[in-house]
Amino acid sequence: MSRLDKFSETVTRQVARATSRRSLLTLIGGAITGAATLPVLPVARAQTHGGGHGGGSGDHIAPQTTGNPQDPGDQTQCDYWRYCAIDGFLCSCCGGTASTCPPGTEMSPITWIGTCQNPADNRAYIISYNDCCGKSSCGRCLCNRNERDRPMVRPQANNDINWCLGTSSAIYNCSTAVILGVALEQK
Amino acid sequence: MKWLAVSALIVATGAAVTAPAFGGVEAMPGVADPLRARQNWILQCQGCHRADATGTPQTTPTMAGVVAQFLHVPGGREYLGEVPGVATAALSDAALAEVLNWSLIRFDPGHVPADFTPYTPAEIGRLRKKPLRTEAATVRADLLARFGATNETTKKTGEDIQ
Repeated sequence: MSRLDKFSETVTRQVARATSRRSLLTLIGGAITGAATLPVLPVARAQTHGGGHGGGSGDHIAPQTTGNPQDPGDQTQCDYWRYCAIDGFLCSCCGGTASTCPPGTEMSPITWIGTCQNPADNRAYIISYNDCCGKSSCGRCLCNRNERDRPMVRPQANNDINWCLGTSSAIYNCSTAVILGVALEQK
Repeated sequence: MKWLAVSALIVATGAAVTAPAFGGVEAMPGVADPLRARQNWILQCQGCHRADATGTPQTTPTMAGVVAQFLHVPGGREYLGEVPGVATAALSDAALAEVLNWSLIRFDPGHVPADFTPYTPAEIGRLRKKPLRTEAATVRADLLARFGATNETTKKTGEDIQ
């Protein structure tokens, strides 16, 4: 027992000689600060951020509904029916709406056009994905749905390219989904 | 009696005005279903050519008021079937022939020849087998240069139609 006492005494005295009370405070302070910064690191943010590939978004945006039973769904969510082939940030989350651009951006007249099925009446509607251009990427509500999307060799039906064409700026901000009309019944 | 004559005149004028309008929609040569042709235009062409076919100078040539002039120059009719946007469109030969005939009449009626022979699915099927690639712009420029030479006939045809 006395040997153990001796050993502890030696170690304690060594620690006391080699360190100061201030260094202990530094250590504790560092640990507290480190614990506080840990959730701020990019790794932690990626986890809370749900987004990407049609998985919805972690941004806390108030739901936007038209209130029209013919146009159901939340326009700030990737699963809104008109977004069946959208690839990019939803203008609804960026100061615009599903069919208008945020202030300060310009709507591209050159677009890619497809069809989406409206769950309210099960009819196909012709949808034009007009990009909004002129400000840097909005960065909110990233969606990537690819119904009838074609590979890059068919650029007219590909949603991976930047459709900011025919505008004064080619800088992409966000995407809209404008209804052009009801598609004809397939025979 | 005078009243009768006036109303008869009004009815006759109305009929004369409406008849060509209705006839015009139905009498699109080579277009079996104008609504279907318009939808194919929207889905396959409009994204780049714009709804009114005015295009964008740097990327997509203007079709409105221009496209049917190709029918007046040698090689122009073939060019319209071989140009990449037409030849590689994701449409059947029949649907492609229909939308091509439709767009000629819809966007450049003034230049469609009076004796215009509509494109047939067989003709389109043959032309699209050898699509133009990077040389499309050069071929187009050559054809456009010939427009001037045939301007007289084009103008006349335009007046005939209208």
